[in-house]
Amino acid sequence: MTTSAAQQPGKATVTLSGDREIRIERIVNAPRDRVWKALTDPTLIAQWWGRGNTLDIEKHEPVRGGHWRYVEHAHGETHGFEGRFAEVVPQEKIVCTFEWDGMPGHVALQTLTLEDLGDGRTRISTVSLFHTGTDRDGMVSSGMEGGMNESYAALDRVLASMS
Amino acid sequence: MVQYRALDAAFAAIADDTRRRVLERLGRGDATITELATAFDMTLTGMKKHVRVLEDARLVSTEKIGRVRYCRLGPRRLDDETAWIAKYHTMLDARLDRLEAFLERTKGDAP
Repeated sequence: MTTSAAQQPGKATVTLSGDREIRIERIVNAPRDRVWKALTDPTLIAQWWGRGNTLDIEKHEPVRGGHWRYVEHAHGETHGFEGRFAEVVPQEKIVCTFEWDGMPGHVALQTLTLEDLGDGRTRISTVSLFHTGTDRDGMVSSGMEGGMNESYAALDRVLASMS
Repeated sequence: MVQYRALDAAFAAIADDTRRRVLERLGRGDATITELATAFDMTLTGMKKHVRVLEDARLVSTEKIGRVRYCRLGPRRLDDETAWIAKYHTMLDARLDRLEAFLERTKGDAP
């Protein structure tokens, strides 16, 4: 159901809500500006994101709509990860999508927030929401087709007005 | 803090990093509870609890032969999607570990 640990550095609090959302929280012994820099400066990202593996940062555009693509090299294999930034609030928040090359179409929406605890420590909270095949099937059966038809109708009107 | 809706037993079982790693380990071959406890540097009692949760979710089955309890994957298999979410979870945890270690290592460096 839920596992949690005391809020100490190095201990993550993990909770699940719903069956497709994962939250991980942890407190690090570093002020928020350092944490922010480690999360957004490519030369720093390369030093930790790869979990000890070589990391190529092919794309890193931390602005709304910008792309990111990192490739990890481990044991002769490469693993590509990518997504788009949906929201970037300096020092506070990064919202982006996350996909792994190995499971195309399985997208997680990651929201990472930083909270300055005022004593030189920072709370990092991540919420990952998984968009599953079931969700997509549900969308199709519950009105997305209607939305598509409305879009087509609007396109028809635009085309009609141009003729 | 969080509203719990109906949780899939398998998903709840894999919410824990140790249990995810136990599944990975059993994916490479059957093991006894003692072997698992040793591999994960845990007490026998602690490992028994984890195996029990996995067993309740039907992700692991156990069989006692003589005085030894053997664990293997199944009968239920994680579907691709649940497996991916578990892997993602482990990855994110590992990345945050690395981030934390990096912040410790570079403490006092020029900002």
